[in-house]
Amino acid sequence: MSKQILLIDGDKDHSISLKTYIERLQHDVTIASTFEELKQHLDSKKTDVILADPYIHNNTASCLLAKKKETPLVQIIIFTSKDRLDSAMDFFKSNALGYLELPINRKALELFLAQAQKNIALNQKIKQDAKTITKLQGAHNFYRQLFEEVPCYISVQDRTLRITASNKRFKRHFDSRTGGFCYEIYKHRTSQCPDCPVVETFRDGKSHSTEEIVTTTLGKQYNVLTRTAPLKNEKGEIIQVMEMSTNITQIRQLQDHLISLGLMLTSMSHGVKGMLTALDGGIYQFETGLTQKDDNRLFKAFGQITQITEKIKKMVLEMLYYAKSRQLQYEEMAITDLAQTVVDTVKPMAQNYGIKLDVSIPKTLGKIDVDSNWMAASLVNFLENAVDACVIDKDKSKHCITFDVKKTSRKTVCFTITDNGMGMDTETKNKMFTLFFSSKGSQGTGLGLFIAHRVIQYHGGTVDVDSTPGKGSSFCIRLPLQKPDDVKNNTICRDEPLTLPLTGADTQG
Amino acid sequence: MKKKILVIDDDLNIREYLVSLFKDNGYEVYVAGDVKQGLSQTKKNKPHLITLDIEMPGEWGPRFYHQLTQDPELKDIPVIVISGLSGHQCAVVKAVASISKPFDRDELLKIVKETLKK
Repeated sequence: MSKQILLIDGDKDHSISLKTYIERLQHDVTIASTFEELKQHLDSKKTDVILADPYIHNNTASCLLAKKKETPLVQIIIFTSKDRLDSAMDFFKSNALGYLELPINRKALELFLAQAQKNIALNQKIKQDAKTITKLQGAHNFYRQLFEEVPCYISVQDRTLRITASNKRFKRHFDSRTGGFCYEIYKHRTSQCPDCPVVETFRDGKSHSTEEIVTTTLGKQYNVLTRTAPLKNEKGEIIQVMEMSTNITQIRQLQDHLISLGLMLTSMSHGVKGMLTALDGGIYQFETGLTQKDDNRLFKAFGQITQITEKIKKMVLEMLYYAKSRQLQYEEMAITDLAQTVVDTVKPMAQNYGIKLDVSIPKTLGKIDVDSNWMAASLVNFLENAVDACVIDKDKSKHCITFDVKKTSRKTVCFTITDNGMGMDTETKNKMFTLFFSSKGSQGTGLGLFIAHRVIQYHGGTVDVDSTPGKGSSFCIRLPLQKPDDVKNNTICRDEPLTLPLTGADTQG
Repeated sequence: MKKKILVIDDDLNIREYLVSLFKDNGYEVYVAGDVKQGLSQTKKNKPHLITLDIEMPGEWGPRFYHQLTQDPELKDIPVIVISGLSGHQCAVVKAVASISKPFDRDELLKIVKETLKK
């Protein structure tokens, strides 16, 4: 392919004859016989090869060297008289492709030009390859970023299930190093899991999926949906398998809560039907008590209607609280009055079941800032729970509940409810304040103690539980006498429906 | 001689309601709060009819019915299911009636009367 050759020569006849010779070799030749012509050409035109006598002007040599530094692809061939050749070599060194002595040996010139052409082609190829490498590096970084940032756990495994690569999320939650076995890292097992999808993919080359529970390095358990994909070499052989696991823990938790909600609605509907039947019973007793003029029946009917009405009221309030809670309506009230209201509400129920209710309420307890409706409802819930624990317990002939109120400091009051009912095992005790958890089967909604506990918490109080299966339980409810500061500043505004997962509920016994 | 009815229900208020209702209508009434008590009361008093709740603590109503039918002396006692549980109609297939809570007392009395006539 023809090259653009700049011929720098002060000897006009010599340059013309050289030009004619080089043009015969299929190159384009431009002659510069003065320094000005040289400058003009270098600034404005493309030059592949410079064939130059560097001594036509004082600045020619340094000008050529500057050009070489600026455009390294330019090939320089020097020719000069024998006596100046050494000094030219000292000046240009390896920046020139070759040195020719005047008169120029045409064969040597031809060889240098051929070499220059080769160098130019090689340099162009290197330039092209460098461009391709930069492009590849960009693509590599892009795919690396995709691999690292994908919002799921990715690991690449060999046939022994050893992890050879993993993404950032996997490293953060499971193992920062590579080289461990999948089953060790994900499941803390010592051998391969049954029905391993990676093994299946190695076997049939297809994608497989499973749902697993995995444990992070911090001991947290996650539900993950796992999918595999084969990684093949140029021959199409599976050399590794990629495993992608998506964390679906929140979806599973939500499903569990929806199931609980469904169960709660079923049990609530059953409970409402039972209450309505009992209410019908009360009305019947009342009507027949009136017609039969039976005071005893009338009195009993009234008690029954009052009790069922309270139950229905409580259930409706619980549902309302769960659907849309309200801000606490603080008011100052005597602790004795609060405690007495609670006792008066639960007493008929305890008597009904023949349970002894021992009450200790000192008269000089002072006052407390509370939402009286919610606090009374909450304490009633704890007491009713104690009654239920006694009713369910068939092992003892006599049951007793104590309700003790005392100030534990100048700022705190403690309500202690102790029963000798059936007590709770550790699991029930741990879950008792969880939403929708009930140990009473269809008799409980799983809302009661959850809400009662929340009401105590919102008042800045605490509930301590002590229980022994078969022996009974004790609840110690501590409340501050004054409204807590965060409530004063309105930072606790529980007006939104409660969010999941939650704690709290109707459980004991 | 008064006809005897056994009421099996874990809810005290509903038990008392049924006791008054049946007594007021001339029946002799016995009560049980669970399956175990229900079986011992049945053996002891040989009722002419049993009203049975389905969902009770411990064993369920259908378990009571199963055990009742295992005893040749008791297996023919008619049973009326009274329950708030959805699907209770399928719980005891051979029950003479399955009534949903809250029930219509006249309808219940009518079924009881007709059953005891047979």
